[in-house]
Amino acid sequence: MGLFRNLKTAPVEKRVSEELKERLAATEKAPFGFAPYNPENAEKTGYSNYSYWGSTFRVFFKNKLAVTLLSVLVVLLVFTFIQPHLPNQYPSNLIINHPITGMQMSNVQPSFTTVKAKAPAGVELIVTPYENDEWSAVSNVLADLKARTKFQVIEYGEDFCKVQYGDVIGYVKNDFSTKLKLPDDPLAVPYESRSNFKIKLYSTPNDYTSNGDELFVETKYLKIEGDKAVTTAECELRILPSSAPFLFGTNNLGQDLWALVWSGTRTSLLIGFVVAMIEAFIGIIVGVLWGYVRKLDRILTEVYNVIDNIPTTIVLILIAYILRPGVGTLIFAMCLTGWVGMARFIRNQIIIIRDRDYNLASRCLGTGTLRVIYRNLLPYLVSVITLRMSLAVPGAIGNEVFITYIGLGLPVSIPSLGNLINVGRKLVSTSQSYQLIFPTIVLSIITISFYIIGNSFADAADPKNHL
Amino acid sequence: MLKYSLKRLASSLLTLCIIITVVFVLLRQMPIEGYFDNFEKADAATINAKLEQLGLNDPIPVQLWNFFKGLLHGDLGTSSRYSAGASIADIIANKAPVSIKLGVMSLALSLMMGIPLGTAMARSKGKFWDRIGTMYIVFINAVPAAVYYIFIQMYGANALRIPMLFDENNLVTWILPVFSMSLCSTASYAMWLRRYMVDEMNKDYVKLARAKGVESKKITMRHVFRNAFVPMVQYIPTSLMYTICGSIYIESLYSVPGMGGLLVDVINRQDNPMVQAIVMLYSCIGIVGLLLGDLLMTVIDPRITFAKKEGAR
Repeated sequence: MGLFRNLKTAPVEKRVSEELKERLAATEKAPFGFAPYNPENAEKTGYSNYSYWGSTFRVFFKNKLAVTLLSVLVVLLVFTFIQPHLPNQYPSNLIINHPITGMQMSNVQPSFTTVKAKAPAGVELIVTPYENDEWSAVSNVLADLKARTKFQVIEYGEDFCKVQYGDVIGYVKNDFSTKLKLPDDPLAVPYESRSNFKIKLYSTPNDYTSNGDELFVETKYLKIEGDKAVTTAECELRILPSSAPFLFGTNNLGQDLWALVWSGTRTSLLIGFVVAMIEAFIGIIVGVLWGYVRKLDRILTEVYNVIDNIPTTIVLILIAYILRPGVGTLIFAMCLTGWVGMARFIRNQIIIIRDRDYNLASRCLGTGTLRVIYRNLLPYLVSVITLRMSLAVPGAIGNEVFITYIGLGLPVSIPSLGNLINVGRKLVSTSQSYQLIFPTIVLSIITISFYIIGNSFADAADPKNHL
Repeated sequence: MLKYSLKRLASSLLTLCIIITVVFVLLRQMPIEGYFDNFEKADAATINAKLEQLGLNDPIPVQLWNFFKGLLHGDLGTSSRYSAGASIADIIANKAPVSIKLGVMSLALSLMMGIPLGTAMARSKGKFWDRIGTMYIVFINAVPAAVYYIFIQMYGANALRIPMLFDENNLVTWILPVFSMSLCSTASYAMWLRRYMVDEMNKDYVKLARAKGVESKKITMRHVFRNAFVPMVQYIPTSLMYTICGSIYIESLYSVPGMGGLLVDVINRQDNPMVQAIVMLYSCIGIVGLLLGDLLMTVIDPRITFAKKEGAR
């Protein structure tokens, strides 16, 4: 106690000392006594079953968020590899054309099904010849009328008016896109009318084929007479004669975005992993030697200054010119410019620990340099090295996006997340913004997972956290 | 200290010369087709004449010597293809100020946002501020910068009702570019400051201060923060000086007439004098910035000295 009384603990102290006195009085035994001498105690040695990696993984798996993201990442990885073998998948570089018109199915919105409209029974349709027996190509466009063509309105409707054009009776759309010229009382049929725009003459008051392309319906639902058909039951009109939907839509060329995204993820992940591995390998070797062997420090610092200041763009352009652009070229270029950062980082860490007492002791005992590096230095750095490596994968993917942005990346024929994001970036304010959103979501999931897993693993690998 | 700085400066000059030489040699390896607009139609005489004019037919040591001679006279050369005949010093002097202004403002903003965030994250470790800050950092690292810059431009311009493109005289248009540029640095500063502060808070002197009953706030600001900030200072002069490089994304998005895409552009056009001049400029900045950073660290923390200590191996 002495000179200072701690005001906060004084009442507690009093209570504790009183309780202690009571308990001692209750036991009737002296609180301290001599311990017996047992010579066998000298033979007992301490045994600790502490295992570094065991404790690391134990602490890591306690972190629920990291484990969840790890499983998400594993599922994603497995999915990217089994995706081409699932049913109803389009090949990633296949340009999908409409079977009748031959035009590319570009910029189709994403949806879970290929059904465009459902037709009830009794609808009359025009049939276009199509060689598949199971499917028929139908449309309900009787004719394409030029602007300002005149026709007689027989019945007026809010959406569709029944008109007579020559000797054909059909329907035309009555909305802002056609702006039919109507008299003051539109219900007083018949009268002449026209539109200032091109309009289509439909056979039924529906606009199934709004852009003029044929839709497809299974033949069993139609009763075909010549080039006209009547639906016999409620059937679905599809944009393509198959039920494989465009889950992410299609891009400007008509390629399925779902297949492109997964193929691109494969490529980007491959680039990321290979670059991270090679960078780590070369970077650790050079960095350790740079930091530990004092004679090499000056030379390597000069080399580092030179390499760091050469713009990577020049190196990339030269390599892309010498070896044709491709995945291998990109990996080579990124490794060539990336190992320097890792080496410098490792060198900084080694400089911090190289003069510590345990290393001094090892040197005094005559331990060789390699063994000191391998047994003393590197295990200390496991936590920071794994953090850097796990950040290197999303870093490589982000680097690839940047390289593609300045035009030096993979050619467009090899899909990758960088390519997809750069193409989608220009479409963000249009109705095709899905072409940016889906690749970005996949990229973000990958990056976030790697980041959090890396951080959690680095925290777990720090022995201070092994409880 | 002075001797150390002078030694560093001398070796920096040597490094600079090596860098220029290496870039020189690399640039001469570029395909000859790049120097001409229609290579297939030109015949051998024209090609030779153009190469002669560009000074590319001389052997490399002669070209190097010419370049250094011009450099010593303060002449950075004239651009050959980017804007033919214009003095490079003029081109850079026109474009640099805007980039520097934007960069300095965004650096100040990111320091003002990042340091309080990092401190709050370290103090409330595991609780509210830490979670929010971590989510922010993870988001910035995960989503490619190109993507959220576009979203900020679109929605920010709509919400604040300001024009989307940058106009130097209209102060309101400065908000979005500066803000977007500072996001990435804020995340970086917050993350590193949090890490250093958490490391400091585990040290023994902090435990002693707590045991003595010093208020938590005093411990944080007077002891922990000052020690944790030291490793971060060395990056600030470099960041300050690299503002001249400009950010290629921001400048192309907001049509800022700055230095942003200049380097990539002139490399693609194979305008050798400009590439050499710009590379030299950036290298100078990098080396000086590194030196200033180390000096700043020794100023702030007297324990750090780069001179040789006795007892070191």
